[in-house]
Amino acid sequence: MKKISIYLSVLAVMLSAAGCKIDNYPAPDAQLFGTFLDAETNEPVEQDIIRGSTIEFIEHGYASQTKQVMIVKNDGSYRNNLIFANKYTITPVRGNFVPTEPQDVTVAGATQLDFKVQPYIRVKDAKIEKVGSKVVATFKIQQTVINNVKKIGLYAHPEPSVGEPMRTVLSDMEINAATDPNKVYKLEIDIPANSNNLKSGSQYFFRIGALIDAPESKFNYAKAVRLTL
Amino acid sequence: MKILKFLTLLPFLSFSCDGADESIQITEPKPVEEVKYDDTGVLFKSYKGLVMAGYQGWFTAEGDGAERGWHHYQKNGKFEPGAASIDFWPDVTDYPKTYKTAFKYKNQEAAHVYSPYDEESVDLHFKWMKEHGIDGVYMQRFVSEVKGESGKRHFNKVLANALKASKKYGRAISIMYDLSGSNTADMDFIAKDWEELQSTFKLFDNKENPQYLRHNGRPLLAIWGVGFNDGRKYSIADIQKLVEKVKGPTKKASILLGVPYYWRTLGNDTENSTLLHTVIKSADVIMPWAVGRYNSTSYTSVAGTHLPGDIAWCKANNLDYAPLVFPGFSWGNLKNDKSLYNQIPRGRGDFLWQQIAGAKLSGAEALYVAMFDEVDEGTAIFKCKREGELPENADGKFVGIEGDLKTDHYLWLTGQGAKWFHGESGFSAKKPERPL
Repeated sequence: MKKISIYLSVLAVMLSAAGCKIDNYPAPDAQLFGTFLDAETNEPVEQDIIRGSTIEFIEHGYASQTKQVMIVKNDGSYRNNLIFANKYTITPVRGNFVPTEPQDVTVAGATQLDFKVQPYIRVKDAKIEKVGSKVVATFKIQQTVINNVKKIGLYAHPEPSVGEPMRTVLSDMEINAATDPNKVYKLEIDIPANSNNLKSGSQYFFRIGALIDAPESKFNYAKAVRLTL
Repeated sequence: MKILKFLTLLPFLSFSCDGADESIQITEPKPVEEVKYDDTGVLFKSYKGLVMAGYQGWFTAEGDGAERGWHHYQKNGKFEPGAASIDFWPDVTDYPKTYKTAFKYKNQEAAHVYSPYDEESVDLHFKWMKEHGIDGVYMQRFVSEVKGESGKRHFNKVLANALKASKKYGRAISIMYDLSGSNTADMDFIAKDWEELQSTFKLFDNKENPQYLRHNGRPLLAIWGVGFNDGRKYSIADIQKLVEKVKGPTKKASILLGVPYYWRTLGNDTENSTLLHTVIKSADVIMPWAVGRYNSTSYTSVAGTHLPGDIAWCKANNLDYAPLVFPGFSWGNLKNDKSLYNQIPRGRGDFLWQQIAGAKLSGAEALYVAMFDEVDEGTAIFKCKREGELPENADGKFVGIEGDLKTDHYLWLTGQGAKWFHGESGFSAKKPERPL
């Protein structure tokens, strides 16, 4: 029994040594980073870190054309510090913006690639305040496409990456209609009614979101706001 | 001795100098000067801001002088109850010249049609355009028809009528080759025909035809039908050559390309070839064919993100974009299928306005209305008979404009859209109501 395990470990060492010998390609030493920018305002387009817009990229030179994906941070930026220097076809997909075209990009060293996009919705004049025992959000909705606005919401979470998919408390409203850009919407979260998740004296992040009714669309947001309750 | 050596070297020196000069001449060809047009008095310097319709002009009537029978009204050589290729019936009340047909109204009165071969009829159409503020039309030139002598004679006569009327009423006019049914060999014919039209009608003469549409500083020619995956007998590469030929080294014309609806994503109705994008980038304007791609229920989900996606692509590639709008669709008689009457209902103009508003709100700057006079497929916006006032058609029927609307309702509604595209205020996604 002992002999067998010795043999096995020797075999394992030999195999791993052989493996090391073959895998002597250079490590991924390039970085790809950038931001989703609103083509009209040039401001970053807020995203969701989970279930948000994604970036598909295909490395050139391989027959398989395997799609790899990157996720985007809430502030609209993304970064991949472990990517091979090469040519890629890069496409932002399933996002909160009008579909864009694939682009061929050469990644070498630190490569910046910003995406100018048309967000489906701009959340304008957003204000989130604590009023008495409530958190009150007021805002306007500017949609850039003719589709209906499906839903609006106010989301709360202890982390700054708060959003519809990442919230402990929410207050939302179905719209299912085209919106008037001048209308002021109001959403409220009652603090005592949510005392399990919103503790007095603690700080939380609040964010206003709106979802367009389009295939595979994601929420558009205003910037998250930190409040101490 | 030294001098002798120098003298023997001299011819070699001069030879090498000559050689150098020659090579410089070869690498620097003379730049071709682009043609410059006099635009004094030109009425339409850009398609931007305009709402223009397509003008078929392919109908003829027996006795109109075209000698083409009931062309595009008839079916299998007959135009009589049970044999017609039209669904909508033109309202000919205002026409000075009409033709009696074998069709009868309920009261046994004979039904009449018009012929665009008659100058008076085309004049009336342009008068309506002016009345309702519709900017003008693209005259369809069907390659398969104008290849023949009688077709050429007809379409040249209609074009002559239209050039005269458009000048009289100050409406924009442009030529659109419809390549349906064409083949590779026809590309030379088109280039030749186009040259002929320019000289015959002095199309580019700013005094003779100040109403001929210009775009990007040049007269605009439209070529319809590139990139469709419906088994055409010409290729995208053929169109690429044609565009190069029409533009020429002096860039004689600007080009509008009629492309399939899914041209950007190269799917559905579009050939999966990136050459299409190369050809599109060499043009000045594109107009994707939207007829039948959606109805009022599916419009928003189909066009809602599609339109702004198209517009963004065109902006990034320095192209102009004209979405197509149409009032509805009906081709039951053409297809011998009663289920296809009112296949895409007009909804009293709701559907047309939905598209006009959709295009405007998505950032479009010009519109192509399909079509001014297309009654075979029931997309006509011009005056048509209403429901309840239609001739009888054996066991089939004709389709009418909604009974409570005026027969010029779709002209009026298109005109409202034109006002919006011209920058007038007071328009929104809500369909305008016509004052009584």
